[in-house]
This record gives sequence, structure tokens and C-alpha cells, in this order.
Amino acid sequence: MFEVFKKELRELLRDKKTLLFVVALPVAIFPLLFAVMAFISSQAAMDAEQKVNTYAIINGEYAQEFTDKVFYHKSFELYKGAKTFNNIEELKAGVIAGDIDMGIYLPSHAEQTLDSGEQSQWQVVFNDSKSINFLFERVKELAKEYSDVLQTQKLISFGIEESVQKSILNPIEVIKVDTADKRENLGEKIGGFLPYLLIPLVLMGATYPAIDLGAGEKERGTLETLLLTPITRTELVLGKFITLLTTSIASTTITVLSMGCWIALALAFADLDFIKAAFSTLAVTDLLMIFVLLLPVAAIFSALALAISIYARTFKEAQNYMAPLSMGVFFPIIISIMPNMELTAKTAFIPVTNVALAIKEIVKGTVDYTFVGLIFLATAIIAAGLLAFCVKWFNREDVLFR
Amino acid sequence: MIEVAGLKKKFKLTKDHKKNKIDDIDPREDKDYFHSVRDVSFSCAKGEVLGLLGPNGAGKTTTLRMISTALKPDEGSITIAGNDIVKKPLLGRKSIGFLSGSTGLYGRLTVKENIEYFAKLHGMSKNDIASRCDELFTLLDMHKFIDKRAENLSTGMKQKANIARAVVHRPAVVVLDEPTTGLDIMTTQTVIQFIKGLKAQGTPVIFSTHHLDEVALLCDRVAVINEGVSCFDGTVEEFKQAGNSEELNQAFMNILTEKHDV
Repeated sequence: MFEVFKKELRELLRDKKTLLFVVALPVAIFPLLFAVMAFISSQAAMDAEQKVNTYAIINGEYAQEFTDKVFYHKSFELYKGAKTFNNIEELKAGVIAGDIDMGIYLPSHAEQTLDSGEQSQWQVVFNDSKSINFLFERVKELAKEYSDVLQTQKLISFGIEESVQKSILNPIEVIKVDTADKRENLGEKIGGFLPYLLIPLVLMGATYPAIDLGAGEKERGTLETLLLTPITRTELVLGKFITLLTTSIASTTITVLSMGCWIALALAFADLDFIKAAFSTLAVTDLLMIFVLLLPVAAIFSALALAISIYARTFKEAQNYMAPLSMGVFFPIIISIMPNMELTAKTAFIPVTNVALAIKEIVKGTVDYTFVGLIFLATAIIAAGLLAFCVKWFNREDVLFR
Repeated sequence: MIEVAGLKKKFKLTKDHKKNKIDDIDPREDKDYFHSVRDVSFSCAKGEVLGLLGPNGAGKTTTLRMISTALKPDEGSITIAGNDIVKKPLLGRKSIGFLSGSTGLYGRLTVKENIEYFAKLHGMSKNDIASRCDELFTLLDMHKFIDKRAENLSTGMKQKANIARAVVHRPAVVVLDEPTTGLDIMTTQTVIQFIKGLKAQGTPVIFSTHHLDEVALLCDRVAVINEGVSCFDGTVEEFKQAGNSEELNQAFMNILTEKHDV
């Protein structure tokens, strides 16, 4: 068994593709990808923030104070072109044609409506399909400022002094007194994200080498010679399984360490208090506990990937079979972030979901250690079951010689 | 000495196979199974080379896979020096060296690493591995490329490495499944010399082939399988007599036709 493990590991370490998936990708490509994504999204947000939008307003004279606020706002510029806009349809056409970025339509009887105590409805025409769009929020903010002024004036005209208006308009204010400490709050935010990163990594570290160890052996014509050596199928499966477990855990560890280095590097150059606070709450024992919980998950994935791979006739067929497994792994993680989903005696038995929930609780610092033990045991039993299935699978002629 | 008696092996038909099945085209198919090997028997004594002949799909590869313990027979026995390897497959694997035309090597390992790996799996000691490897590398003239990765070898070099891999553990019986298929003349000569060498050492060799010139050159005995059933087992001379021809090709055709007509 140990000879099989040694040989498989040696071969994998000499495979450029495996090194790419297990080492290069986690070390450089993932952090680089995240950095590029962060850069692009921050750039897009900055562009949207700094962009000056052209607008046209209809019936602006009926709310002059608001019209002036829009006019003097640094992000808005009044349309000075040849086109004229007289109704809402013309504003829509102007936005679609790209003549203006935004049209504001005030009803012509705005003043009278307000005087008669009715609500006045203003329309803002713009293209809301862009994901980062500050237009509507800015206009809404200006309108609210104007609305507050009108509200105050109106109430004063009814004889209600400004000093008592607050108690009439908002007689009760509910103030949140949060018992969750800083760690719990941060844990809730990043604790749900961590399984999304770690669990698929554990799977990826097992699937690619598994294809080589199972279907790859068939395709190269080495499986038959291996089956004719005087080692039992159990030893053969265990040798291959331990190889996959090693690559899976190694890949995850390398990724986490690499990300840690990149984050440390980022913190050295930028003042990222949120990230600093988030990671300072995690102790070494927490990380170790997460690592220990991921071990049986890696075992489950290794056994599954090996069983799938040995069933496939070719490398390509194995890749096709692995695709649903790669997608399927996200479902139990999604379950773990569903509302009201908590780590209980019941959820501790749902494979993968239980580990995702436990990671979240560990990061929050609220984990019940009994559950950690229970999850480890439950996941390890499933992994052992799958490994036994794998051994049985390797003994089937219709699987090996399809 | 290896003795094969009454071997039978059937495979369950897949749904696709059943769907596309043309009735009565193959007498070996029934409703659920394909009876690949129905009754095969032959023997090969020490120092003998047995040529296993038969048309494509006759059941030769299945038979050799059963002898090599990759497949388990449904019925029958395979004994090597009195030990039934169907019942003791691990013992069988220690006693048999197997090579086929499609046997591969681990491309990312060197030739030496490949052969040492299989020697270790056969439980050989470090010293024994070193001396046996050196012996084989000299015998097969492999010293020039033993440190090259298998993926970078020529076909001839690969076949030499495969031969060394197959016999590194000094097997009692060597089984070869169409070992010269797809090889050039030079590499074929290497395989032929290797078989001659085994014969000289007294190792029984069973090899399947479609090349009857190789049979004439190497074999002491011939076994013919057709549609999963043994239809001849005897010496080369008996083969010619049974086939009513001095030409091996003609004798083979006659035996097959005669058996088919019967």
C-alpha cells in the first residue's frame, strides 16, 4: 500500500497539469484572480462615483429649491443640447437615445398638490440595468432633503413648532443593543464565506489527481498490470485513496497559506481594518479545528472521486462524470447559509452542510465542542463507508474492464 | 507446468447491447449474458511454448485474462505446479508474468523506476531488485535508456521495458497476449528472442497471436479456440495433421471450418 502511495505521489509531482491545479492555481492564480476582481469592481465603483450625469428636468420651476439642489450637485449637469423634453415619453426617448443619463419629471400642479395636503409623485427616468448606479440614490437623497424642508414648513404652518415635530413624526425610536461581540458579528459575515472557499478547494484537490489515478491508469494500459501484482485490491485502493487525501489536504493548506500571505502583504500596504479585525479574532486552535473537520470531508471527496474515476473508461469520460460532483458540492454549502440554519443535533448529521455550519460557528467563537466531535464522527463514518464501497467497486470486473 | 481445464466465463449484457442486439447472430449470446468462454482446456509443460490461436472475438484475451487472474472464471480450474490459482489468485499473480501489445508503462517514471516499482509490489528485497534489474538491463540491452522517462521512449524501448517489467519477479509461467501486434520488425525480433530465452530457461510460455510464422518459429504446442470453445490442443505436428496441411495457415483454416461445420 505504501509503495502504491509513494509511486502515485512521485508521479503526480512530476505531472505539470497536477502541479498547476494543486499548487500553482492556489498559490498564485486564485489570489491574483481575487485581486483583479477587487481592482475591477473598485474601479467600476469609483468610475460610477466620479461620473457626471447629464439630466433634463420638466416642471422644475414648481420645486425651485429642489431644482437648484440638482443643478449645483457635482454629479449632475443640465442638458444643454438642441432637443427639448416636454413629457415623460420624451424623457424616456432621450435616455434610450443617450442624449441624457437621467430625466426628472415633476407634475405641473406640484405646488397645488402639496398645498391641498396630497402627496406629489415625481418620476426619475434612467437606465437601471447597470449594476453600479448611484443616479437614483442621489436624486432620492436630494428629494428627501427638499421633502424634509417642506414637511417642517407645513407643520409649522399648522402651529407645530419645530422642536416638537420629532416627537410627533417619530414618537418611538427603537435602539439596537447588540449582545453579540465583535468576533460574533465578524464571524457571521466571513464565517459563511469560508466554507465556500475551503470545501470546493478540498474537492478540487482530489478530483484532478483522481482522474489520473483511475481513468488515467485504464487509458494508459497500466491498470491491468497493476491488478496482476500480488497486492490485494484493498491495499491498492488504500494506496490511491491516501494519495488523493494528501493532495486534497495539501492543495487546501497551500491555498489557505498563500491567501494568508497575500492578505498579510495587503495589510502591510493598505489600512484594511475590517480584514485585520476579522483575522485577529481567529486563534490557532480555531484553524486547527477547521483543518481537522476538513479531513473527513477530504476523505469523502477522495473516495467519491476515486470511485467515479475508476468507473470511467477514459480521462475525458471521468472529467464528464466529475462535473456534476463539482457542482453538487455547492448545494450542501448553500443549505448552511439558509436563514435560521443552525448547528443542531439534526444538522450535525447532514454531510458537508454540518462542516460548513461548524466552520461558521468556529469563526464566530460560538461553537459547541460536542457538535464538533459529533460532526467529525459522522463525517468520518460516511468517509469510511464510501471507502469500503470503493474497495468493493475495485473488485468488480464490470467496473474495471468496462 | 500450467493446466487449464473447463474454463467458462460469461459477461452480463448491457442495456445498450441488448437494445442493439441482432437475434441469433452469435450463438454465445442468450437473453442476459454473453458467454465469452464456454469450454476451454489446454496445458503447457516446463520449457514449452504454447501458441493460443483463434479468430478475433474467439475468447483468447478473456482466457488469458483468467489465467493472469485479472478475471475470475465462472467455472473451471487453472493450476500452476499443482496450485489452483482460481482459488489462490495472489499465489497466481506471483507465479505469472503477463504482457500484452497494449500494456502501458507509467510515463512520468523512468524505466528503472517502473521496473523497480513492480518488483517492490512483488515483494522482492532491495538487493534482489538491484541484481535482477541489472541482469535484465544487460540481457535486453537497456542500460542506455533506463534513466529516461517512459513517456520519452521509442516503441522498441517501451516493449523492452515492458518485457523487463513482466519478468522482473522471475515468474514460473509467462503469458503473452498478442505481444507483437503493432510492432515493427526490430521490436518483434526482441519479443521473439525474449520468448526463445524463456524457453531455453525452461519457463512455460503461453502466447496468443495471429501470426502463424511466429507459431512455426517458436511453438511446441498449439491450442485453438473458436467461439469460446477449445477445438484443438496438441503439438505443431498434430496441428498440421488435424488440419490436413503442412501450411499452418491452411491447417488453421481447415480446423476452424471443420469445427464450424460440425
